[in-house]
Order: sequence, then structure tokens, then C-alpha cells
Amino acid sequence: MTSLVTVREDWHGDVPVARIEGEVDAANVADVAARLRGLMTNRAMRLVVDLAATSYLDSAGINLLFAIGEELRSRQQKLHLVVAEGSPVTRMLRLTSLDRAHPTHASVEEALAA
Amino acid sequence: MEALLRVSDAALGSLSLDELLVELLERISEILHSDTAAFLMLDEAAGVLVATAAKGIEEEVEAGVRIPLGRGFAGRIAAERRPIIIEDVDHAEIFNPILRQKGIRSLLGVPLMAEDTVLGVLHVGTLTPRRFTEGDRDLLQLAGERAALAIRHARLYDAERVARAEAQAAAARLTALQRVSDAALGSLSVDELLVELLERISEILRSDTAAFLMLDEAAGVLVATAAKGIEEEVEAGVRIPLGRGFAGRIAAERRPITIEDVDHADVLNPILRQKGIRSLLGVPLMAEDTVLGVLHVGSLTPRLFTEGDRDLLQLAAERAAVAIEHTRMFEQRRVIEAIQHTLIPPLPNVPGLELAARYLPAAVGTTIGGDWYDVFPLGRGRLALVVGDVMGHGVEAATLMAQLRTALRAYALDGNEPGSVLERMNRLLPSLSPGTMTTVAYLVLDPESESATAVSAGHIPPLVVHADGTASFAPVEGDPPLGVSRTAAYGEHRIEVPAGATLVLATDGAVEVRGESLDDGLERLRALAARRPGTETLCDAVAGGEVTQVPPADDLAILVVRLNELSDRLHTSWPADPEALAGLRHLLRRWLARRGAGPDEAYDITVAVQEASANAVEHAYAPGPAAFDVDATYDAGEVTIAVRDHGQWRPARGEHRGRGLPMMQALMDSVEVEQGGAGTTIVMRRALKRAVAA
Repeated sequence: MTSLVTVREDWHGDVPVARIEGEVDAANVADVAARLRGLMTNRAMRLVVDLAATSYLDSAGINLLFAIGEELRSRQQKLHLVVAEGSPVTRMLRLTSLDRAHPTHASVEEALAA
Repeated sequence: MEALLRVSDAALGSLSLDELLVELLERISEILHSDTAAFLMLDEAAGVLVATAAKGIEEEVEAGVRIPLGRGFAGRIAAERRPIIIEDVDHAEIFNPILRQKGIRSLLGVPLMAEDTVLGVLHVGTLTPRRFTEGDRDLLQLAGERAALAIRHARLYDAERVARAEAQAAAARLTALQRVSDAALGSLSVDELLVELLERISEILRSDTAAFLMLDEAAGVLVATAAKGIEEEVEAGVRIPLGRGFAGRIAAERRPITIEDVDHADVLNPILRQKGIRSLLGVPLMAEDTVLGVLHVGSLTPRLFTEGDRDLLQLAAERAAVAIEHTRMFEQRRVIEAIQHTLIPPLPNVPGLELAARYLPAAVGTTIGGDWYDVFPLGRGRLALVVGDVMGHGVEAATLMAQLRTALRAYALDGNEPGSVLERMNRLLPSLSPGTMTTVAYLVLDPESESATAVSAGHIPPLVVHADGTASFAPVEGDPPLGVSRTAAYGEHRIEVPAGATLVLATDGAVEVRGESLDDGLERLRALAARRPGTETLCDAVAGGEVTQVPPADDLAILVVRLNELSDRLHTSWPADPEALAGLRHLLRRWLARRGAGPDEAYDITVAVQEASANAVEHAYAPGPAAFDVDATYDAGEVTIAVRDHGQWRPARGEHRGRGLPMMQALMDSVEVEQGGAGTTIVMRRALKRAVAA
């Protein structure tokens, strides 16, 4: 069900921004993981993952973000998350403490400026 | 005279003419006390008397004695139509040497007359000199008259018997011919049929060989297709150009040809000569005005095929042509049906929806068309519904249908919106098949929002039947059929499909009756669907011709989708496959929304159920199809969901696993895990804040 989720890439200078649109679940999380890892470079100090347009995220996606965050940390890099305030996804992040492990922002601009 | 009466009595018996003559001679020689007696019957055409029956001089018949009219003793009696007495054979003109050889001394002969016609001669003889008296002459003449009468009767009787035998033979041949066409009734292939037909035809015509050469119209040649007695013809793949040789001329001139002597005729095929065929008879195989091929029979001994043989072979060829045509159609039909069955995919299993569909080839002839239906998931719980109709019939239409069906799937799964999908199809069609036209209705059903997005390329509008039985065709503006205008745009229309409603998509074959307005058929479909029969029942009724009221003339496709009303208790079963999770999620959201759950509550519960289900999917299963069940219950403002699998609970492995259970516990009011030998059940509960009766 490839049309469930789309990952759009956007570069701001050296910084890659991945915008995840749609639903992430156990069936497609591996595809999303491959796209995100493809954006991890040695030049950029951070990877921004924009979840504002993510309509569904469960533990499959949460686990992936934890894993990506740790891989970046081991390379002296950082994962920045963008979420829509008050959205169900935000609650998932809070529930799993993902929002305490990685900086969370209300917009991509904020994430790039931080 | 009593004895004489017995002469005619004999005729009353059912003796054959030959038997009768022998019987008569017996009595006549008894009456006249003669040593010999004989009948010579006149062969009018040849102008000769033929010894037909004899007593005492049987050699006459055995030698086939033939006496020219007017010559000798008997010849003169017949020519002069008068009795002749010969007292001394030695001093008379006797033509037949056997009379002398047998030592006959005296003869008395009379003509056998029937009215004014001479039938033959009757004579008696003695081995001792005898002076036949006038009394003897009168007596023989009387016997001759009686015999003539008896002969006439017997001849009539014989003729009748011959006629009856001929009639019986003709009937037998007709029966045999009937069997020629009966052969087609079996489920034989064309090749098998031809062999079977040859067997029967050579039996009927008592021929040594028989062969079918079928016309390859494109190549302009006749191809030996089946043969009996000359099987080499088929093995060698003999090809005869139209107009050349024996078979070629039959096909080109569309007439029977008889060859009495193969050695002196224009025969192209060397195998006929090699096999020693001496005579041939061939007729064209015609289906209406079309030459299908040639049928010929042959004889290994010189044979003069009669007009009767020719007529019979022609009749057999007519029957065979019909049988071949039927079988060819049947075969073609079987191929196309196989294509249709292969290409029309099974319906997906979508919990919360009832799906039913039918494809039916046309009932008459080979009018198999390019109708199709298709159903496939599009992601986010949406379902693509397609019904289309490629104009035209036969293998070409069926093949084009298959291409278009695949193209639509490809464009749709690529993420294109419905209008854009049809625009792409419209641009694609001319490159697949220039100058053809296709109508299609394409709907994307979103059960969660209880609506569909519809586009139509000149197709019958979708019918929406509501739970209360109101039914109407959706006002989907029909844009042009595909293939008509390269610049056509296809507008999207939103259709409300509330829970409990049914969508009916059909091709015109399902409703159209020749000579009637399409609207009449559509109205009958609407009325039928408004009675809300089950989805399968509705499909059966339409496929059974309930709307057209006659067996559907064209092929038809119908697709029926019912959006089930989701009651307070929801029982669903899913394949243990991660792909099932999305479908479960969307159904659950729909169910929760109907129970009055807010968006956040719905999200939380959905995530919890997904976590439990993901566990069920991940659990080790024995090989083979596995499934898990999700039962949702709503009671007094509380949602209870049980996720049951048939495997063993396994502690999560890996660093970033094992968040599922804590998440479930955080999202729900209570989570219980029950493990048993048959599997694991997770029961979760959560009270809804603002519960609303569904």
C-alpha cells in the first residue's frame, strides 16, 4: 500500500528536511526508514523530520524515530522533529517520551533556526 | 382350367418375379405335358429378349441367352406378336443353340402381352416330336395371358419393394447425415470433429478415402486438416493454392467436381496419386456465402460417382459446415471465456463492505465483448470500483479490456486522482487501439467519510440505493467515452454513500433491450435494486436477465457494493499480514465515529488496537494462512475491544521494540492479556467521554 505514505525531501542548505505525509504503520515503516537513512549525510549537523502532515503514527513509527535519533547521536548529529500543536501525533510523542529525547518544534523554520 | 386358375393364384403370393416365373413354368409344363418351358423377357431398350426363367433348359438362363427381336423362333414371336409352332427343330430357323443341344424336337411359343405391350415370350418344348394342336396353342396363350397379368402384378410389387428399399436406404442415409451434425453436439474440438465427420461420410458414401481441406483465407491456400485413408496428407501439411488442382478449383469455383480417372486429370497433390486413388468426388464446404474449405472422397478402384453421390456429399458437406462453424464458435468462446476468467480478478475481502460482481458473456453467438469490472484497495481505507465496456466483440475486445484494466490500476495506484486517471486512460487508448471507444465508470469509495468520488467516461451512472429503499442514479455528468476526444476532461463528482447504502455499477448489457430506450432498462434496474435484495441476489437477478426480461443479448458486467451499517458489536477477521492493519484501522475509525468517539479518542483506541494487532501479526505462526480476530463492543458508553490470535505471545525483541504494551496501557483504561494453549487474547476497555447512541 505504497500510497498510504509519502516522504518528501527538501534541502535547506546542507540541512535535509523529510516531510512524512500520510500514515506510518508496521506495513510501510521499512520504506520510511530507508528514505530517512538516505538523508543522513556527514555534512549536515541535523536531520529535520516534519510530522505535521502525518495522519497516523503508532509504535512502529515511534520506534523508528528513536532508532534514527540514536544513529544520528552516535555521529554527533541531531534529530529535530516538527509537529502540529495539539495533533494526535503530538500526544503519541509525549506518551512515549520521544519529545523529551529530541527537540520538538512547531514549524520547519523553527527547527532550522534552533 | 382349374390348373390354369392356379397360374394366377400364384401371383397372389409374395413371391419375387424370378420365383414367380419359375413357379409358373412348373405349372405350365404340367398342364401342357411339355418337357421344357421358358420365359424370355423383353429388354425394350436393348431390343433383345433375355432368357429369364427356364425349366428343363436351365442352361439358357445360366448362359444369359439374348435373342434379338425378329430373329429366330422367340425373336419372331415377339416381333410378330403371334404364336409360332415348330414341329421339327432340325428344319427350322432357331437362333438359340441350346435348344438343339438339349435335343428339343418340337416347340410352341406365344407372346406375353400386357394390353398392347409385348412383355416377352413364353415357350414350351418336347424332347420327342410332337404336333402341338390349336388347343395346345390356345391353352398356352391363355396361360401366357394369365402369366403376363401375374408378371405385371409381380413387377409392380417388385417395383414397390425396390422403392420401399430405396426409401429405407435414403432414410438410413439421412439418419447417417443427421449423425454428421450430431457430432457437433459433443464437446469435440474442431480437429476431433473433422475426424469423426470423415468416418461417417466415408461410411455413407462407401468411399476408401475422405479428407477435409480448410481454407486459410489470409494465405489463400487450402490446408489438409483431416483425412481418412490418406492421413499422409495431413502429416505432410499439404497446402493447395486456391484455383489450382482438384481441391483448389472446387473452392475457387464453389462447385462439386468429379474425377473419373485421376491419371488423366489435373490433380496437384501427389499423395492422391501415390495412394493409388483412381476416382475422386469433391464439394465445397460453404457457410452461408463463405467458403470454409473442401470435402472430398476417393475410391481406390475406378468408380463413376453418380449425381446421387454428389448430392449426398453436398448434403453431408452442408451439415459438416454447420457443425464446424458451431464447434469453431464454441472453441473461440471457450478461449475468450478463459481470458475473461483469468483477467477478471477475485474480489478483495474488505470487512465492513459487502462486495458482489458478475461478468457474463453474451448468450447468443460469439458476441463476447470487452465488459469488465475491477475492485482494488487504494490505501487509507479507500477502495477503487471500476466497471467498463470496450466497444466491440471477440478476442480483440477482450484483450484490449485486459490492457485498459491494468492501465487503470497502474494510474490509480500511482496516486492519481480519479479525473486524472481517466484523462490518462483517454490519452493512452488511441495508442493501444486506434479508433476504438470505451466507456468506464470509476469510483473511489471512502467508507470512513461515507462518500465516493465518481468519474464517468460516457458510462451508465452509478446507482445509489439507501437503507430506506430510496434509489436514484447519481448525477454523475457523463464525460465523453475514452477514445473520442484527446482533449476530453473528466470531472469528479462526490456521491454520499451513507452506512447501509448500496452502490450498483453496471454495463449497458445488463439493462439494454434492443429497440427500447436505455432509460426504461435503467428504471427497471432502479426498481429492482430499490427492493434491497442481497448483493449476491441482485447480481444473480441482473445476470439472469431480470432487468432485460430476455436473456441478455450483449455481455454484461455488474458490481454491487454495500457499505454495512456497523452495529454496536463488530466481529472481524483479518489475515495475519501487516497489510491488513490499514484496513482494520479505517474500519475501526468508522465504527468509533458512529459510537460518538471524538477524534483524539478514536486515535488513541485505534493506536492501541493496532499495537495489539501488530503483536498478533508478528507472533510466530505455523505455515499456512493465519488470521486474527478483532471484536469490538460498545455498551453503556464503554468500548471493549478483544484482539485474539492463535499463536504464542512472544516478548518483544530488539532495543526499540516492546513499546506496544506500555502504549496500550497508556491509551486505554484497562488492558488484559490472556494466554492459553489456543492463542493470546488482549482485551482493552475505554469509556468514551461523550457517548452518543449510534
